[in-house]
Amino acid sequence: MPEQDRLGRLSRRAFIQAGLLGAGVAALLPVSVPVAKPRDVPRNRTLTLVWTGREGRWIDHELWNPYAIGSNHQSGPGIFYEPLAYYSAFADKEYLWLAESYAYSPDFKELIITTRSGITWSDGVPFSAEDVAYTLNSLRDLGPKVRWGVDVQQFMQEARVTDPHTVVVTFKMPAPRFFYFMTYKYDIGVYIVPQHIFQDQDWTTFKHFDLEKDWPVTTSPWKVVFASPEQKIIDRRDTWWAAKARLASMPKVERNIWLPSAGEQQLAQALITNQVDYSMSIQPATMPTVFRQNPKITTHSGQKPPYGYMDWWPYSLYVNNEKPPFNDKDIRWALSSFIDRQQIVDVSWAGAAEPSPLPLPAYPALLPYINAVKDILAKYNTLEFNPKKGEAMFSAKGWKKDSAGIWVDPQGLRLSLDIISPGALGSAVGPVISEQLKRQGVDATFSLPPDFDIRFQKGQYTGALYGHGGSVNDPYHTLRLYQGASVAVPGAHLVNFAKWKNEAYDQIVDEVFATDMRDQARLLELFRKAMEIWIPELPDIPLTYNYHRIPMNTTYWKNWPTAENPYVNGAFWHLTYAMVLWNLQPTQ
Amino acid sequence: MQLGYVAKRCGVFLLIIWLAATLNFFLPKLSGQDPVREKLLQQAQLGGYVQAGIEAMAKEYEQRFGLDKPLWSQYLAYLHEMSRLRFNYSISHYPRTVSEIMAEAIPWTVVLLGTTTVLSFTIGTLLGALLAWPGAPRSLRFLMPPLWALHAIPFFLCGLILIYLLAFQLQWLPMFGGYTAGAFPALSLAFVGDVLTHAILPALSIILVATGGWALTMRGMMVTTQGEDYVTFAEAKGLKSRTVFLRYCVRNAILPQTTALALALGQILSGAVLVEVIFAYPGIGTVLFHAIRENDHFLIQGIVFSVIVALGVATLLLDVLYPWLDPRITYRRA
Repeated sequence: MPEQDRLGRLSRRAFIQAGLLGAGVAALLPVSVPVAKPRDVPRNRTLTLVWTGREGRWIDHELWNPYAIGSNHQSGPGIFYEPLAYYSAFADKEYLWLAESYAYSPDFKELIITTRSGITWSDGVPFSAEDVAYTLNSLRDLGPKVRWGVDVQQFMQEARVTDPHTVVVTFKMPAPRFFYFMTYKYDIGVYIVPQHIFQDQDWTTFKHFDLEKDWPVTTSPWKVVFASPEQKIIDRRDTWWAAKARLASMPKVERNIWLPSAGEQQLAQALITNQVDYSMSIQPATMPTVFRQNPKITTHSGQKPPYGYMDWWPYSLYVNNEKPPFNDKDIRWALSSFIDRQQIVDVSWAGAAEPSPLPLPAYPALLPYINAVKDILAKYNTLEFNPKKGEAMFSAKGWKKDSAGIWVDPQGLRLSLDIISPGALGSAVGPVISEQLKRQGVDATFSLPPDFDIRFQKGQYTGALYGHGGSVNDPYHTLRLYQGASVAVPGAHLVNFAKWKNEAYDQIVDEVFATDMRDQARLLELFRKAMEIWIPELPDIPLTYNYHRIPMNTTYWKNWPTAENPYVNGAFWHLTYAMVLWNLQPTQ
Repeated sequence: MQLGYVAKRCGVFLLIIWLAATLNFFLPKLSGQDPVREKLLQQAQLGGYVQAGIEAMAKEYEQRFGLDKPLWSQYLAYLHEMSRLRFNYSISHYPRTVSEIMAEAIPWTVVLLGTTTVLSFTIGTLLGALLAWPGAPRSLRFLMPPLWALHAIPFFLCGLILIYLLAFQLQWLPMFGGYTAGAFPALSLAFVGDVLTHAILPALSIILVATGGWALTMRGMMVTTQGEDYVTFAEAKGLKSRTVFLRYCVRNAILPQTTALALALGQILSGAVLVEVIFAYPGIGTVLFHAIRENDHFLIQGIVFSVIVALGVATLLLDVLYPWLDPRITYRRA
């Protein structure tokens, strides 16, 4: 027994020693160490922001090629690939960037792009028209393998370099919106890549990340100095062609730290304690708490509702137009009459929102179109809450309420509506709208299925809450969301989530497609014709505008994009974030 | 005889691994979800815009992940890869492999949960033993109600309370992350200190909750052990109270605790999911949580398979080592 005791004591000691040694070594194991320690940057020249990540960590920290599957321009790569042009919907202004000019042929089957001179990639290789042509031709060839591939393949015949600063793009069909498609706005725009880096790579797996090689190679003033699941650190380079060309001033932000979100509570606390300067949207109900504890936090609308700006994504209650009884426009109108949008604003959004009469945002460039159909909206009020009107519509079609107060059609079928929705929108609005409908005799249920995207895209739903990623400066992109078929764009990928079909409408949208974006008179005429069909038909039921409620901390930084200074929308995850970076000024 | 026992245990170990690995393959498939298409749709709908050509893109990537093959063929390929400890690409982290992701996250979790499990086991077991010992200070008894109360709340809730009190109100400790935002990892004392400081709150939220559980079970075992004849005999012999406590009571009462500790250590690889999530702690728990949410079959399979192997190894080691720990247990059949 003494021997066993001794063995036991030795084992314990050895265990503890091994444990301590292991813990010490293990404490150092998890972290990736940068190749060289970057310079120190003071807090008042550092911009720290929080973006979604995934469950508190980055999953794409090694992906700086925005075309790789799994990569996301919203998480940092967006600022490294400068565009041919930026467009600010708030200023309704186009800013030519890598492109100096562009011109379409009269039939819109050819586009000539002239690139700027004096631009070099960060490795010293000059940027040229070759990079633009290579990017476009590669996208055409890669097609469905990469983001934007099909969009380019669908329209473009070829991109040809005629001299070091000229690219001639030829199209299979008239493409009057191709340059606009390539322009950076919101989440849309073609990333121009360095040919000399990408040409021997598989775009779908190439990470374009190697700190020793100073990758990603960029024309922007930014440089990745560290990236791990915990943080991405981006430093400013010393020179930038755009500052030399006096297109923009050199950014004052010397370091930009991207942190993944750990949840709204922690985010609010980090904003209050000035650990964070800029963040993803937070719930309107959280805003007053944050303002109270840190008066230096502001938003696009200051410290007043809606605590942000109108996003391009007004949302609706979609009903599947292929499924009876929702294939009947009168039933859709009756449902619309049952919905109290002001209550949705008050309860779901704590009063910080506005109802939207149409599925497009009230942006400066779109206001003429919205104003042009005011008389139609007066006749068909898409925002009217009038249960009696809805009841009358049901009764006129022979529907009656059963003993439980649910509408039943003449064949005895109850009116059921299962509403599905993704994430935050659904959590806020779903319970309110389903309760409103229940009170009016609709057997409504609400859920947040994990496979929402697939079900919604395939039309495997009855009701859904979702927005409209459509227009910001001309009406085409919203109108095409409802096209059932297109002759003008053969093989077009049609969104048509509502599964609504109307041939006359489709023809009008094809005409809009072929119309010059600058021909507002013709576009107004066509938009009105389309709305004369769309509004009475009501393919989906408009609810409210969507808002980005982005907190911005003025402790270290000022000149944020706000209602008084709307140079661009403030979403740093959008492709126009670079504009915010070169506009921010230090307070200290 | 001993060799036969070990061989039999190893056989059972392999059988368990195969069964668990098979379940691990088929269970995620039962959901009927299509993770590749979902991933692509998420990407394609960035910011609400719907990109063209999703169907063609989904087919391309299903082929790349081998998901276009029949299920039996996928299963055989899976077993083959698992037997070589090689995992596929992660669907949600593509083009990163499951092995890369796990290698990055596991050390964080092992450090956090290894330390907290051992600490809560040590503190809880000692407290439990003392609470049942008549000679222990009476003041210790006041510890029991709060320990039991803490044991009843989930780790993550305790974590949220600690964040509010210690990180937000008092600002003594960092709120989240593995280390300070903007700090550059380096093999230096300062950085190790930073990492450890960030681990305090998540660790504390686990220790505070888990200690009560260990104390409760140890106290129960001690009460039983104190009634044994050999303890009465030791006391009758006039042995010192300390000797009776440590050598006769604790030593016998601790055996079930050791089993539980081995199993708890085996489960470390699954992480303390919600604690890691609320602290944005970069461990395997957050990876698993993400993998489940994204229905990333390959990542789920990789993590769960590692947990299965770790648990299997822990159980195998216990089976083999038990007779050494307690001479009353033998390799021979009764």
